[in-house]
Amino acid sequence: MMKKMMSLILAAAMVFALTACGGDKPASTADGTDGTKETIKIGGIGPLTGDYANYGISVKQGAEIAVKEINAAGGIAGQQIELSFQDSQGDAESAVNAYGKLLDWGMKISMGCVFSGEMATVCAAAKDDDIMLLTPSGSSDNILDSNDKAFRVCFNDGYQGVMAANYIKEKNITDKVAVLYQSDYDYSTGLYESFKKGCEENGIEIVEVQTFTESTKTDFTTQINKLLAADVKLIFIPIYAEPASTFLTQAKGKFGDDVYFFGADGLDGILEKVAQDVTIANNVLMMTPFAADNSDAKVQAFVKAYQEAYNGATPDQFAADGYDAVYILKAAMEKAGSSSGAAMAKAMLELEITGVTGTMKWTADGNTQKNAMAIIYKDGTGSLFGQ
Amino acid sequence: MIEFIKTLISGLGLGSIYALIALGYTMVYGIAKMLNFAHGDVIMVGAYAGIVAFTSAGLPPVFTVFLSVLVCTLLGVTIEHFAYKPLRGASSLSVLITAIGMSYLLQNLALMIFGSQQKAYPQYVKLGQVSLGAVTVDGITLLTLGVTACIMVGMSLFINRTKLGKAMRAVAEDRGAAELMGISVDRTIALTFAIGSALAAVASMCYGLTYVYIKPTTGAMPGIKAFTAAVFGGIGSLPGAMLGGIALGVIEQMAKTYISPLWADAIVFAVLVLVLVVRPTGLLGKEIQEKV
Repeated sequence: MMKKMMSLILAAAMVFALTACGGDKPASTADGTDGTKETIKIGGIGPLTGDYANYGISVKQGAEIAVKEINAAGGIAGQQIELSFQDSQGDAESAVNAYGKLLDWGMKISMGCVFSGEMATVCAAAKDDDIMLLTPSGSSDNILDSNDKAFRVCFNDGYQGVMAANYIKEKNITDKVAVLYQSDYDYSTGLYESFKKGCEENGIEIVEVQTFTESTKTDFTTQINKLLAADVKLIFIPIYAEPASTFLTQAKGKFGDDVYFFGADGLDGILEKVAQDVTIANNVLMMTPFAADNSDAKVQAFVKAYQEAYNGATPDQFAADGYDAVYILKAAMEKAGSSSGAAMAKAMLELEITGVTGTMKWTADGNTQKNAMAIIYKDGTGSLFGQ
Repeated sequence: MIEFIKTLISGLGLGSIYALIALGYTMVYGIAKMLNFAHGDVIMVGAYAGIVAFTSAGLPPVFTVFLSVLVCTLLGVTIEHFAYKPLRGASSLSVLITAIGMSYLLQNLALMIFGSQQKAYPQYVKLGQVSLGAVTVDGITLLTLGVTACIMVGMSLFINRTKLGKAMRAVAEDRGAAELMGISVDRTIALTFAIGSALAAVASMCYGLTYVYIKPTTGAMPGIKAFTAAVFGGIGSLPGAMLGGIALGVIEQMAKTYISPLWADAIVFAVLVLVLVVRPTGLLGKEIQEKV
């Protein structure tokens, strides 16, 4: 009983707070009920607190830049857009709850979720709703299968590994490589499998494969010894930033100056992890569709807007994914002429969009293929490799 | 051959850290007859103390180690006084559950204070690589080995040659009789916790210098491995803990090099099961005959 009373009081307080807020923001008083101008409500879900908060916050901030730009330029077909980004802490169950909350709020279009696990459950939960879902950064292969109105901005893991191999060939880095991956993580094993396939296609020889697991990720001595013995110029590390920081710290000074550590999107944030000595990340190559120092005018405009809005912070690829996601949703809605999920999903297949993460076209399975670049880290700064 | 020697040395280094932690487990078990599962987390606290002392307070290395030892010793004695002492007469199951609760309490306190992100342990001792003939090894591994060897010698002298050591042996053998002889059991147990926790602080230094990154959960896995090492060597026996720790470290690194990291833990525990089947009291454990 006491609990019920409490929740009633809280609910009342919340309603009061919301109406109070509405008073000084004229845009949100037009909530559609009074028949005047309706806003287009876009919902996003991702970790804004907890261990993985950096990923969610980047996506949210990138998306907010795009929303601001679009609204300043007159919105979509004269309608302003409104973004609500919910915190899931990276947890799939909370993500589904957040999706429900966004539906109650009146969400018409969804930016999906930041993580693959969240996106998979939300896609399944939303399969009967007429809402399009576009994940900025969920890259696992099969997460979009349950929903035919689901798409992604980033590339999928099965493609990323092949692309990494193509990149090594294209830049003529080496034809002999070694691999270190985490054998109990889907992300890492998936990338390794597709990298292996790509290496076969490109005639690159994998001379040494070393693995580690969640419970052995503190000590890399034996793996480093084996990798040293393999004597290669490039070690592919499709792992997350945290184990990578441990590996690189223990490897520091043992490998030659011309040995590259090549990783994918999971390495994003590596510099913060080795903040005590940024030279640990020297010679780390990170494959990414987005590089902040790319000379492309569109990229530079985005980087500038982001830095102005967020105290000089440089956007990472998650921010770029979030930014592109909003523009892609805008284009799809304009093409479809409505915010109906089915119509927008159909329109997606005919679109070709050049955003800050490259030029994208979509297939019916929701995947996109685009060019990749690599950033190389040196003394705490990342720059485009081979430029 | 070079690979074998390299693996052996890294196994000895890892084993030394296990051994330092296992000493704490085995002493507390031998004297207080309880499993102190919070012992692994004392290492984590010691490591954070080192980070705060060196990075935030800017203390020189010697004081950093000293402060770390002091914090751990006080923590060990405090835990014993407030959590375990009131349960001295209770069933061993209650004490065990309390120890597990204490372990989570320490982890969550660290989580609240330091956050979930890893922190780098200051590298105040820089030894680089050392060449021994054709084999290069990390200087820090050799330091760990040296520190552990010194502590081992010191501990056996203390236990066997001093009055306090004699008191500890007496309490371990028969608590009631020791009390009748005028030995303060409470004080002896507190002393045991103090020494065990101080050793944990030394282990935290070796761990931090070798593996660098510290998280609130850092102590959990080494804690379990060290407990295994203590059982492996014969719980209650100091040389046993030493031998068990070193053996465990070497087996783990050998398995990682020659079989697969995926199998390393499975192999370590399989060896433990084998040893316990053949020698139920562990490698150096004493067989105690219950008299009827």
